[in-house]
Amino acid sequence: MTAPLLQVKNLTIDYIGDSTDFRAVDDVSFDVARGEVFGLAGESGCGKSTIAFAISRLHKPPALIRSGRILLEGRDVLDLNPAQLRDFRWREVAMVFQSAMNSLNPVLRVQEQFYDVLRTHQKMNRAQARERTAEMLRLVDIPPDRMKDYPHQFSGGMRQRIVIAICLALNPKIVVMDEPTTALDVVVQREILQRINELRRTFGFSVLFITHDLGLMVQFCDRIGIMLAGKLVEQNTAENIYGAPQHDYTRKLWASFPSLHGEPVMEKVSI
Amino acid sequence: MQPLIAGLVRNRKALVGMIILLIIVLIALAAPLLTEYDPAARVGRPHQPPSAEHWLGTTRIGQDVFARLIYGARTSLAVGFGAGLLITVLGTALGIIAGYRGGKTDEAISFFTNMVLVVPNLPLLLVLASFIGQASPLVIAVILGCTSWAWGARVTRAETLSVKQKDFVKSAEMMGEPRWRIMTFEIFPNLISIVGINFIGSVIFAIITEATLEFLGLGDPKTVSWGMMLYNAQKASALSVGAWWDILTPCFALALLGIGLSLLNFAVDEIANPRLRTGNSMSRWSALIRSGEGRL
Amino acid sequence: MAFLLRRLGFYLAAFIAAATINFFLPRLMPGDPIQIMFSSTGTELSAENLASLKLTFGFVDGPLWQQYLTYLKSIFTGDLGRSIKYFPLPVTEVLGHALIWTVALMGTATLISFTLGTFLGILAAWRRGSVFDVVVSVGAIFATSVPAVVTSLIVLFFFGFTLNWFPTGYSADPALDPAFSLTYILSVLYHGILPMLTLCTVLTGGFAVTMRNNMINLLGEDYIVMGRAKGLSDSRVMIWYAARNALLPTVSSLAIAIGTVLGGSLVTEVVFNYPGLGNILYQAILARDYPVIQGQLLIMTIAMLVANFIVDISYVLLDPRLRRT
Ligand SMILES: Nc1ncnc2c1ncn2[C@@H]1O[C@H](COP(=O)(O)OP(=O)(O)OP(=O)(O)O)[C@@H](O)[C@H]1O
Ligand SMILES: [Mg+2]
Repeated sequence: MTAPLLQVKNLTIDYIGDSTDFRAVDDVSFDVARGEVFGLAGESGCGKSTIAFAISRLHKPPALIRSGRILLEGRDVLDLNPAQLRDFRWREVAMVFQSAMNSLNPVLRVQEQFYDVLRTHQKMNRAQARERTAEMLRLVDIPPDRMKDYPHQFSGGMRQRIVIAICLALNPKIVVMDEPTTALDVVVQREILQRINELRRTFGFSVLFITHDLGLMVQFCDRIGIMLAGKLVEQNTAENIYGAPQHDYTRKLWASFPSLHGEPVMEKVSI
Repeated sequence: MQPLIAGLVRNRKALVGMIILLIIVLIALAAPLLTEYDPAARVGRPHQPPSAEHWLGTTRIGQDVFARLIYGARTSLAVGFGAGLLITVLGTALGIIAGYRGGKTDEAISFFTNMVLVVPNLPLLLVLASFIGQASPLVIAVILGCTSWAWGARVTRAETLSVKQKDFVKSAEMMGEPRWRIMTFEIFPNLISIVGINFIGSVIFAIITEATLEFLGLGDPKTVSWGMMLYNAQKASALSVGAWWDILTPCFALALLGIGLSLLNFAVDEIANPRLRTGNSMSRWSALIRSGEGRL
Repeated sequence: MAFLLRRLGFYLAAFIAAATINFFLPRLMPGDPIQIMFSSTGTELSAENLASLKLTFGFVDGPLWQQYLTYLKSIFTGDLGRSIKYFPLPVTEVLGHALIWTVALMGTATLISFTLGTFLGILAAWRRGSVFDVVVSVGAIFATSVPAVVTSLIVLFFFGFTLNWFPTGYSADPALDPAFSLTYILSVLYHGILPMLTLCTVLTGGFAVTMRNNMINLLGEDYIVMGRAKGLSDSRVMIWYAARNALLPTVSSLAIAIGTVLGGSLVTEVVFNYPGLGNILYQAILARDYPVIQGQLLIMTIAMLVANFIVDISYVLLDPRLRRT
């Protein structure tokens, strides 16, 4: 076994309040191997996004990382200085946000939003960037000639795919996906997950996949962690989480997905 | 309502603003106790600098500046709060009706509102006041109230549109409550911070505008008010003859009242919009970072 | 395009409304309007001059609607009547001169304070809670809450009378002939500094607060977090992701601020005896020169509408969602 790509060790994060603090993430540890899809599931407000933000060190006050380490290929992200951090972001960890529909800047053309990444990290000029943009858009089935359009001219699903294309533009080692499909209807959702899976096979990046939809998660992930009120209460392979849940809370979660549990959930092959 | 008041008590800006306002109100109320002079009467020689006898000097025609200052506060406050109330009542009523009723009513009110917004306010007031001629503070307050409600109506309408979608409004409708009851008892209480901001803003606007109109010579010369003090001082060339006390006194009074009210306004804004608040949590956060108990 | 056309139609309606107010005001006042408008002025007018004045203001025989139409027609042909104070100069001429000074003063002041205020607001929001933020916020509260009259008088007192650094009136040295010469231009600039300083003090704070609050409301948006996650430089995220979007609500609030700008410049001109529209209006009020007063309302309405239209256009240019191709 090689060393895991991403190691989160004893991560604890508080939101500082006026008089008391709120512990959003409490002593959480997990690893993500190279090329693996690791899922984080749990009800709304249990701290999933807080973990996702910490991996790229995107937190702003009043969030405070109390303790813990976040290692990517053995290097602690929390020790990077501002210049190293800028260089690290997106090149090593790219991110699809919870409302990816709103994560494109409404006043910049799509090609600009590719260009600023490519110029910052790879010093590309406009012509090179345009070529790379076209290539990435083709990967997600967006006609490259639409790169001159603004985000509002695309549908929700297309915007989602554009964000994914921007994510892959630098060949990152891991992509963090925070509920990338919640705002989409089921068909589009499935389509996008399938596409991500194909791309993952081609490029070999890892995925940290976050959702509260357990049914979706077991179809898509290799391993899954279940979170409850800031704590990681169970961690296992997708099959075991589905077939042999250990923790009471996991079982309760399954009970709340009556329609999914039982029949079509395990058609993992189709994805 | 409750959180608004609780928030105001805890907000530092609100506290300072409150204190300033309270002091001015008390001084205005206690004016006869604080000075023996009649603010309108000639009580000394013209343009005397501040002295033990005349704390803030005298005007060109020998009136006591301090007496005029504290009696004038009554006028400014009365016009400000009177006109402010009128502006707020009109703006809130029109905004809620337009937002809640929708349809043709909304179109008509919104068109009218937008129209009033693009006709320049101060020149319009000047024209009105010049036709009325020597407007008394009461007249000024009334025309201010009738011409300045448009901004309030616009923001109240926008807010009403979002409150209207809430469940409690829907359920009140289902129970067949009459529309006026829904507007007064379901919607209005939820607009209280917008109404508060509108009210304080309107008071500031009314005080400033009254002073401006009077300064421009549209007031009634018999009025004792800060605006008339400015007008008389300017007419007497107080600055060029070096009688700074004559003109700077109402200046600082107006500035102080303006600042006090603005502080209150900003405070209400912060309470209404939690994102604007910089509470205690920020200083606790910084302290924790400095002591190395966490990082980002 | 459709959006701008709709706005134009609306502005036309607003202009007619202002003109209508102008027409009906003297008629709604208690007493005889002609008496109010043309007698108490102290200036003796000959019978035929009085007749021509009355004609422009629609005080002709016939039913009210006919008077109203005559009046509207004269307005749209650019005939605002003659000034009583400067008889027989037409109102348009009296106002035309002043308009140039006002536009120059107001335009420059708005541009400077909008740029400066927006910039301060951006930085304050970006460094939320820092000393800089506190200084900007508190300074803005002070600057915006003090009436323009007061700011003007205080500036005039300190820089004009006490320190004697700047002239206390006029737009240029009255001894100089208006000409396109260096001396004249320097004199204009020298005379413009204090009114400009006043207006900028009055206006900058408001723009700064608006921009700061709009920025803060946006900073949690996903596209801004994504900008940071992309590893872009701080300044790129601040300008192109945050400020560029926060500018949209700021520009639309600029439309409302134009009224304040107009009011502020009016007062400032009076205090600094600057020969702009505001000062003309002041003189006209003192002389009860009603034709000029009424003409002012129309000119200022037009100024306001033009400014609003410029704001509309820049809004369309700034927001791709409104641009239809
Ligand atoms: N800025 C903040 N200030 C204070 N508390 C916060 C802040 N942001 C998040 N929290 C709290 O932290 C907890 C975890 O939030 P987080 O966004 O990580 O939840 P989540 O698991 O992603 O939920 P969801 O599925 O709804 O996205 C929540 O209870 C939330 O109330
Ligand atoms: Mg989340």
